[in-house]
Amino acid sequence: MKKSYQGRILLLLSTSMMILIMFVCLVGPFFLPDPLAFDLSAAFRTPLSADHLFGTDALGRDNLSRIASGGRVSLMVSILGMLGSLTIGTIMGLISGSQFRILAYVSDRLIDVQMAFPYILLAIVVVSITSSSLPILVLLMVLAGWPSAARVIRSIVLSERPKDYVKAAQIVGADQKRVLIRYIGPALIPAILTIAPLQASAMIVMEATLSFLGLGVQPPTPSWGGMLLDGKVYLSQAWWLTTIPGLAIAITCATLIGIGEGLSRKLHGDRSRRIDLESNFISKLSNKK
Amino acid sequence: MRFLFSRVASALVIVIGITVSVFFILRVTAGDPARIRGNLFANNDVLESYRRQFGTDRSMIDQFVTFLGGLTHGSLGDSFRYQQPVTSLVLPALQNTLILAMCALFISISLAILLGTFSARKPNGYFARGSAFIAIVGQSAPLFWVGLILIFVFSVNLGWFPSGGFNGFVDLILPSFTLAFSILPSQMRILAASVRTELDEDYVKTVHAFGIQKWRIYFIHVLRNACLPLLTVVGNDMGVLLGGSIVAEVVFNFPGIGSLALVGLNAADYPLLQGVTIVAASTFVMVNLAIDLLYTIINPRVRLGALS
Repeated sequence: MKKSYQGRILLLLSTSMMILIMFVCLVGPFFLPDPLAFDLSAAFRTPLSADHLFGTDALGRDNLSRIASGGRVSLMVSILGMLGSLTIGTIMGLISGSQFRILAYVSDRLIDVQMAFPYILLAIVVVSITSSSLPILVLLMVLAGWPSAARVIRSIVLSERPKDYVKAAQIVGADQKRVLIRYIGPALIPAILTIAPLQASAMIVMEATLSFLGLGVQPPTPSWGGMLLDGKVYLSQAWWLTTIPGLAIAITCATLIGIGEGLSRKLHGDRSRRIDLESNFISKLSNKK
Repeated sequence: MRFLFSRVASALVIVIGITVSVFFILRVTAGDPARIRGNLFANNDVLESYRRQFGTDRSMIDQFVTFLGGLTHGSLGDSFRYQQPVTSLVLPALQNTLILAMCALFISISLAILLGTFSARKPNGYFARGSAFIAIVGQSAPLFWVGLILIFVFSVNLGWFPSGGFNGFVDLILPSFTLAFSILPSQMRILAASVRTELDEDYVKTVHAFGIQKWRIYFIHVLRNACLPLLTVVGNDMGVLLGGSIVAEVVFNFPGIGSLALVGLNAADYPLLQGVTIVAASTFVMVNLAIDLLYTIINPRVRLGALS
């Protein structure tokens, strides 16, 4: 009883926090100063100074509006990456958990290869081929993100397959495809809902990392990772240029993890299954960091 | 034996697949290294001579055959930019990266064992709550940001540690703590969960009844069994460590694989880039293989079927 109560509070708090963050990022840029407008006379204003709540950077650009419009880019890219990687991950997970022998073998090996390849190296290789742009960034995130989702889906498909309802469906005459989509499919939904926020938070970190290495969002478009890259140079003079974007990333990710945790407490009452799912996913997920 | 064979075979397939695809993908689509090597106004003759020197004037199949020939005696070709064998650049860098990764792994496993065991002992105590907080921060905060904060606090403000480079043991402290922080959460959660399930086992009651001290029960009897799941996570963490060390190397100016890969990227230096990629991916595959094999030795119940 107490557990589910806690879960509900957690879910409520983190969802409202997320709505607040999205509101600031989506609506904020309409009311804030232009994030690209530079004014060298106003460079390096400290936070809480007049007109600049979060201070200004080396070119005198307003840090708060850069956080807001950078967040817009980061969130958009991450949500697209999350949707793409979950879709591909679910399909590949279904295939590798299925009884199509050859297809399952091929997709298993694909997952292995993809996991064997640190995604930053993959990004370096891909970016050396094409110059970086937003579609490429999303593509990279999907490429890096699908195997972790596929592994989780695969393990659930494998654990559902011996259950009675699946056998019953087979006896009634449903073929493999129908069993996977119509019968096992619905059983995957709670898991997908639980890993979606976790995946989104991993994507935000990934976007920031790639932009920090100069492989993601390119200046002058602000992004949280790019702001950290700019701020790195002024670490000893202007602490707020690195602290604030980093906090933005950390708070957003913690909020998303909170949503995931709250959802999983709500959806999977059975605690052992929940821990199994989460730790399974987290260990797979961390593979990409 | 069959298990061993199939694992080794699939590891080989993965390494070969990565080698071939990296070789061709880079060559088909990346920029012209001669242009980057020559200055902006270099004329065609100069560019042609660079192309001849790099071998990029020949057909791709021809280049691949030369590359394979080199591989048979352990050469990965010459770097375009540094004009020396890629192996002489990659191997020292790999060594540095591995040292960094091992330090980070050591720190994080020690912390995971300490924090995980204590938080499993009292799941609602302060210790468990503190560890859960650390886990959430570790999962949410990007690694490079943690690194920047550590530099800001410990080298800019306090001046305790150098902020970058690699000249001695002291330089390892900040980067390895940064890296450790990124793999700590999953290790700690897994260990805490498995210690908690082990505590319900009968043998714990037995040793307890024998009057053995608490710390001995936890750290000798329980830990030995609880470490098995940790080992698989460590296998996955090797990927995080290799990928994460690339980022940490950039933050801390650490001369490892990652810094080298970025140099290769900016100079369109295919041999260097493909050398780094192949060596890093093979290292990762081999470490995972070793961990799988170790797992079967420690826990004989695990067979290929039971593993998945």
